[in-house]
Amino acid sequence: MSEFIYLIPAITVLVGALTLMFMSMYEKYTVKNFITVACIFLFIALGFSSLTFTDSYSVQPYNDLLNNVLIFDTFSNFFNILLILGTILTLLIGEHYFQHRSYFKGEFFSILLFALFGMMLLAHVNELVTAYIALEIASFAVYIMVGVNTEDSKRVEAIFKYLVLGAFIGAFYLLGVVLIYGATATTNLSEVGAYIATHSGDDMILVYIGLTLILFTFLFKIAAFPFQSWVLDVYRGAPMVITAYMASTFKIAIFSFFMRAILQNLAPIIDFWDTIISVIIVLTLVFGTWLAVSQTIIKRMLAASSIVHTGYLLLAFIALSYKDGEILNIDSAYATMFYLIAYLLSALGAFGLASHIISETNVRVTYNDFKGLAHERPFLAAMMTIFLLSLAGIPSTIGFIGKFYVFTEAINAGYTALTLLAVIATIVSVYYYFKLIAVMYFYPAPLTCSIEGFNDKRVSTYAIAFVAILTILGGVGSAIVFFIPILNIDSIITLSQTAVQSLFIK
Amino acid sequence: MSSDILSFIIFLPALVAFALMITTKDVNTIRNIAFLTTTVILALVLKIYIEFIPSEGMQFVTNVPWIETYGINYYVGLDGFSLTILMMIAILIPTSYLLLWEGRTKGYWLNMLLVQTGVTGTLLSLDIVLFYFFWEVMLLPVFLMIGSYGFGKKIFTTIKVTVYTMAGSLLMFIAILYLGVAYHNEFGVWSFAYNELMKITTIEYSTRVWLFLAFLSAFAIKIPIFPLHTWIMDTYKNAPTGAVFLLSSIMAKLGVYAIVRFMIPIFPEIYIEFSIYFVAIGLFGLVYFGIAALMQDDIKRMFAYSSASHLSFIAAGIFSLNEYGINGALYLTIAHAIATGALFLLVGLIHEETGFKTIKDLGGIAKQAPILTFIFAIMLFANVGLPGTNGFVSELLIIFGIYEFNHTLGYISAITVVVGASYMLWMFQRAILQDRPEGSPVLKMRDLKIKEIIGLTPWVFLVFLMGFYPDIFIDKFEPTVTHYLNDILHIGAAK
Repeated sequence: MSEFIYLIPAITVLVGALTLMFMSMYEKYTVKNFITVACIFLFIALGFSSLTFTDSYSVQPYNDLLNNVLIFDTFSNFFNILLILGTILTLLIGEHYFQHRSYFKGEFFSILLFALFGMMLLAHVNELVTAYIALEIASFAVYIMVGVNTEDSKRVEAIFKYLVLGAFIGAFYLLGVVLIYGATATTNLSEVGAYIATHSGDDMILVYIGLTLILFTFLFKIAAFPFQSWVLDVYRGAPMVITAYMASTFKIAIFSFFMRAILQNLAPIIDFWDTIISVIIVLTLVFGTWLAVSQTIIKRMLAASSIVHTGYLLLAFIALSYKDGEILNIDSAYATMFYLIAYLLSALGAFGLASHIISETNVRVTYNDFKGLAHERPFLAAMMTIFLLSLAGIPSTIGFIGKFYVFTEAINAGYTALTLLAVIATIVSVYYYFKLIAVMYFYPAPLTCSIEGFNDKRVSTYAIAFVAILTILGGVGSAIVFFIPILNIDSIITLSQTAVQSLFIK
Repeated sequence: MSSDILSFIIFLPALVAFALMITTKDVNTIRNIAFLTTTVILALVLKIYIEFIPSEGMQFVTNVPWIETYGINYYVGLDGFSLTILMMIAILIPTSYLLLWEGRTKGYWLNMLLVQTGVTGTLLSLDIVLFYFFWEVMLLPVFLMIGSYGFGKKIFTTIKVTVYTMAGSLLMFIAILYLGVAYHNEFGVWSFAYNELMKITTIEYSTRVWLFLAFLSAFAIKIPIFPLHTWIMDTYKNAPTGAVFLLSSIMAKLGVYAIVRFMIPIFPEIYIEFSIYFVAIGLFGLVYFGIAALMQDDIKRMFAYSSASHLSFIAAGIFSLNEYGINGALYLTIAHAIATGALFLLVGLIHEETGFKTIKDLGGIAKQAPILTFIFAIMLFANVGLPGTNGFVSELLIIFGIYEFNHTLGYISAITVVVGASYMLWMFQRAILQDRPEGSPVLKMRDLKIKEIIGLTPWVFLVFLMGFYPDIFIDKFEPTVTHYLNDILHIGAAK
């Protein structure tokens, strides 16, 4: 029984998904009912995850049944909480949007929970084929959610682009697994790790090729340079809330699996890819920045800027290196995790707020649609400003602290030139983020205002306000203003440290 | 509590601003409470000024952990140098409120309050990450002010000024991180306090030069030092009076301050080595901006150039490596803040009353507004450096300092001051004194109201007090300057 408690969060989400699926057979339930039920399940899962939040542990329950393919440790628990939180916030922020789009039916919420289930599994897996299954559960759910938008002609392009490319890159992954299996005769990551630790030279060629192919999957899913072309169209065609979900939560899930694999098992050979990744970072930053500057639709601008943020994340990732039996710069793993949290909050906030504003209309959300928002709805504009400042990395927001960590660790690892490039990308990002702030504040509201006439006192608004407060709190930390030691920025870092340390419990 | 008095001074305006933002919509209430807040701060600063002991180093220090993982502390304190500038800020802001009294909106006053938090925080931070935090934050309210209440191509201007200054700041940011990492590698612990970063010995010479330049880029843009000045013309022209006042009188001074506070202690030998170039650039800037000011027809642009010209002179003084020069630069910092602040506010007033801002449209104001003209003239003379005003003392000190540093440059600097006098007096003659025919619209100009006169009186008083008795002010920061020269630069105070 004691082992069962670790499985509860994932199982709760799965049961929730199935419940919603059965509920969706009946006409009588409204979207509101579905959101409520989904949230209940998610909060239960969150509650059970929080039980063991601060402990440091690592178990592989039901050995004979699960055959060691899943690990339950503080690390996976940390990511589970992030993923569940991200999903809850997506649901709550999207509440307004969901209710005013006829294509959101019961099945959609069931699929959302299936996606979450796949992602949570991904945080646990310790075996390559299981990882593929988990990844595909999540990916397929996301494919469907992208295509759910029946009112937009772009969605066909979006879903097909994503589906075909995703399946294609999935084949790369499988080929990589096969090659690794050919060399090591196992797909269990712990055993692959043991093989890597004891072999070198010719024995490793297949492993290197296999892992490089798997790396491609990783880069595709997080939209790094040569694999980024789907992002703009997919993000553009998907319903706004799903775009937010993909940009923030899905990215976290991908990172959780690859961070585990790298830190726990693949660390000894990690420096092999440094050159490739350096080049990828350069191209990702340059290309993402160029794309973001040239967009006029807010959604596409945010999507393109998410490519730039991928570049920052990779910058922290590359700072990891290995020498003489230990991982150097383990701090950059914490920096990555912190940045993921920072980006989750700011991106979810920014995308979510945009979706909230356009819920009752059908506009494309260009810069022009934001004109004069500050005069119509000062608090929404203020919150949007907070998210944009956070994305741009301006102090007093969590985005600044995130950038501080990532850049510090990158310099610490000796990647000063790359960091300089990242800083230049940040300078440009100030331009496209501040342009939106300028549009909101400095133009008079247009005569035919597209955003007036909805009630602001609703769940979405409060959820967005909650995220905005977190964004500020994460950047200031209450220690500086009120001298309260508890709500400290350090506590997030400490939590991520405990999480990463649990990877090394044998 | 006494040790937290600085934190109180820093955060009070922001807290008041947030409270006002939520509670009330009435502009007059907001303005009155905001004004009250600034006077409370002035009272507290006076208290600090009395309790301050010049011979000791950092005082009123608060040092509590902020982000422990990286050794970043909430570390504030002040020495003679920051005290002088704190005084300046505390006096200038409430009086500027009196001149901006009528016809503003809620957002205007809230932003004014937020700026005060930003600038005081920047001034008092001794941890360099904390400093960066405030340094960036103080720009945001100004951004909103220019965009919301500016004139002309204001949106282009806001984006330009933001990206321009952020570019400099972010380059400094990367240098800060590099220093932090170097410190960590050398001592095994993280720290970003400026007095800890001074101890770093491991960075190579060429890297130090790059770091020095990265820091300088942030400060030189804010000051501005030639050739990083291109943002100020549009900004000063299009920005509302309050924002121009804040940018020119206060934020530019913080750039000077930051050079002394952070760059000199952290890069002493590079500072000494490069000083000749910066004195030369400073003097060149003085002449270049001076001549540019002569050409201007827009009165705000003219003042923008004149301000840049004086700040170049300050920069030249800062880099002159001796006590005269640095004392003079600090003194001119304050003198210039008072004089330029007053002139910008008065020009803003003229612009709002008459609608004109080109010099050739103005004129005849002397007849309509004698008191305004009188105060305008005093500030103008202080700016030009007429004997008896504070401008004279400071310019003299800087010229001495530069002469001591390099005789040739000293002669040049003495001559260049004439440029400043020429454009100022010419402008005064054309825009204020010269006669206008009866019925021309400029003659609508009203004279100063009693509230505005009360606001400007302490400034006028200070101009002369600092002009006749410089010692009572210089004594407060001279020990700090001596400490810098003896203990940090090791070149001795030339007496």
